[in-house]
Amino acid sequence: MTKPTISDQTVHPPEVMIGAISRLLRDGEWVATGTLSPIPAAAALLAKMTHAPRMTTLIYGDPDFRLSEGFHELFALAQQGKIDVFFLSGVQIDKGGSINLSMLGDYDRPTVRLPGGAGSSMLSALVRRVIIFTTSHNRRLFVPKVDFVNATAADDAPWRRGGLSHVVTPLCVMAFDGTKKEIILESLFPGVSLEEVIRNTGFDLCIGERTIPTVNPLTDESLAILRGPVQERMRLIYPQFAASVWGS
Amino acid sequence: MGLQAGVHNLPFIPVLGFMHSDLMKVRRDLKTVRDPYSGNEYVVVLPIIPDVAIIHAARGSRSGEITTDATRNDRLLAMAARKTIAVVEELVEPEAVLPRRQEVFVASVHIDAVVLAPNGAHPTACPGIYETDAAHIREYVAASKDEQGFAAYMEKYIFGPADHDRYLEVANFRGGKQS
Repeated sequence: MTKPTISDQTVHPPEVMIGAISRLLRDGEWVATGTLSPIPAAAALLAKMTHAPRMTTLIYGDPDFRLSEGFHELFALAQQGKIDVFFLSGVQIDKGGSINLSMLGDYDRPTVRLPGGAGSSMLSALVRRVIIFTTSHNRRLFVPKVDFVNATAADDAPWRRGGLSHVVTPLCVMAFDGTKKEIILESLFPGVSLEEVIRNTGFDLCIGERTIPTVNPLTDESLAILRGPVQERMRLIYPQFAASVWGS
Repeated sequence: MGLQAGVHNLPFIPVLGFMHSDLMKVRRDLKTVRDPYSGNEYVVVLPIIPDVAIIHAARGSRSGEITTDATRNDRLLAMAARKTIAVVEELVEPEAVLPRRQEVFVASVHIDAVVLAPNGAHPTACPGIYETDAAHIREYVAASKDEQGFAAYMEKYIFGPADHDRYLEVANFRGGKQS
């Protein structure tokens, strides 16, 4: 029996995103994940078990991540500058990298009212790098301008340490260009065409004359670790997500 | 940060962030002040001081000491509120109120009443003892879509059952055991 390889088995879209986010994380960083963030949590675990063994993971919901007092400690750590990377998502993300977690439509008469921005405004400014992850990629999500700004990608607040680094979607990886202050396309996932990304994004991705590479973020080795020890940890932390990706 | 200000009864507290968000346009309680030390502008918020906080805890004693989940901010909430009611899964002797893994201790000075209600957090979770009843939550969400469905839900689970034990029977919830 030879070991199965990526080419002869189905790689699920969340696994590709986990691989891509994992590759954005660096050894030695303090990486924190908040609520409802199974893909970033798996990515942090995968990075730690592959190229970033000295990474510190602070995964909300992980039985091994213990706090002495409460969830507000995680905010305190970010305010102190101890968190290098945090993950956010949104119902709308715009070309300037602003995210909306509050509502759609007019604020006083919204079509959809959402739970709100939580700590996103503070966290996006006080961690060194923010990675946005989304579980879909369409023009309702990636809009020219968000209806409501909860967190900005970059601004001149005196407390700001960093800002938006990358956006990872089921189709591609986008980067935040700190000079132009806008989101640009960086790479495509295998099987995804450039045309598909353009068609599903509501703003210009600054492709110009650039050739956008197709990057498979997973190797046979990293996929085996993802489906082995990472999956095992994820079954404790995010059992429903684990069952949806890897079966029950 | 509002709760932190509430714990110490501060008039307001500076927060980091918010300055460039649209919350500044719609939340009239968010104001800015100049830091007298650095000269920088900061957003400030009012303290949060609940009249009553109700927290669900793993165990407590008759004298009001409790242990509760460390992944929430319940200790902060209990310390900030004027009155705090702790609903506990289990009543134990004071010396047995020791925090376990992922739990914190809350001193009795912050607790005004202890209510014994095993499985009292249902359909949400009491971490370490029982999980969220996802099927029940889905039923609730589906029932909430229209007035009629919601009224039926309320009758079946809230107004119908004579007490909490009957409620748990109707909800078909056997609950968790202390591990």
